Amino acid sequence: MVHVGPRTRSTIVSKGISAGRSSNSYRGLVQMGPNAKAARNYSQCDSMLIGDQAAANTYPYIRSQQPQAAIEHEASTCRISEDQLFYLQSRGIGFEEAVSMMVSGFCRDVFNQLPMEFAAEADKLLALKLEGSVG
Amino acid sequence: MIRPDAELLLDIQDLHASVEDKPILKGVNLQVKAGEVHAVMGRNGSGKSTLSKVLAGHPAYRVTGGSVRYRGQDLFELEPEERARLGVFLGFQYPVEIPGVSNLEFLRVSTNARREKQGEEELDTFAFEDHVHDKLKVVQMDPAFLERSVNEGFSGGEKKRNEILQMALLEPVVAILDETDSGLDIDALRIVAGGVNQLATEDNATLLITHYQRLLDEITPDYVHVMAAGRILRTGGRELALELEQTGYDWVDQELAAQGAA
Repeated sequence: MVHVGPRTRSTIVSKGISAGRSSNSYRGLVQMGPNAKAARNYSQCDSMLIGDQAAANTYPYIRSQQPQAAIEHEASTCRISEDQLFYLQSRGIGFEEAVSMMVSGFCRDVFNQLPMEFAAEADKLLALKLEGSVG
Repeated sequence: MIRPDAELLLDIQDLHASVEDKPILKGVNLQVKAGEVHAVMGRNGSGKSTLSKVLAGHPAYRVTGGSVRYRGQDLFELEPEERARLGVFLGFQYPVEIPGVSNLEFLRVSTNARREKQGEEELDTFAFEDHVHDKLKVVQMDPAFLERSVNEGFSGGEKKRNEILQMALLEPVVAILDETDSGLDIDALRIVAGGVNQLATEDNATLLITHYQRLLDEITPDYVHVMAAGRILRTGGRELALELEQTGYDWVDQELAAQGAA
């Protein structure tokens, strides 16, 4: 994200999911040029780890030539906990569907920004991709 | 209510179970028939919560002996979701939060999973909205809670009411309520107890796991069982709970010691 002009605003939301033995990395550049007075960026990096062999890394790059520009970055990690899965199962929801519900929930912020048909496809694709890779 | 010809819903025989190789249940025997309300009381560490988790099928607990038949079927042959669809309900002591998963969506999916097993039609999004609004009245819950993520940011009382709302939607045959009264003030307790009483019929049964007598002021049990050291030590009627309130659990230590010596 490159800010050139003054009072420009941007938001970055990244949702990464690692399953199996994969390692996911986020690398993002937020750059504020010398004229980007009172510009603002907020970056949010969320990682979901499925299974105990998955990993996630975040490498935020911040380059600012404007001391009056604000750059914020937040990173969070979560797992699909056994207790959460069991809660859903205890309500009659099967294992695969439970994982799928939780992953969809995790991605909701991003999917909600997409055109509906695309979001629906992305959701289904994600469920297919994760099938069999959990547990 | 006790009826001699009522269906035997839950038949627990000499149940042994461990968690992380530590034995917790050491021979539990309990029979629950349709229409009955059972209270299981005991100190922390007596195995009360473990019993409920083992019945629901929590993966951290291993059954090491004995058997449980649910309406004649071997309960342990069923996956947790199968047990739920067939009418076994566990009201959690500490309901977990599931961020990102909408309460409404979760309730709809679980209700439909149960309805399928009951031989009833699944409800689409619109029909379900009407259906759930009716059930909200059982626990006097604000519809705004449906829009939020499951239990996220809910107070203790709100979480417990969400549990009873699920009970109202799923229409279980055996409802096991694990310390449903813990952390509730008297008003919240009355709402929760009121909900449980409304949902009790002569075809289902409730197993209340509780520490305190006060829940039993609101929900009258047919049987009271006192659990200690992983077994049921004594069974009595309603009065046993009142007696416990008076005497505390010290007599349990004496009885256990006597049994150990014998």
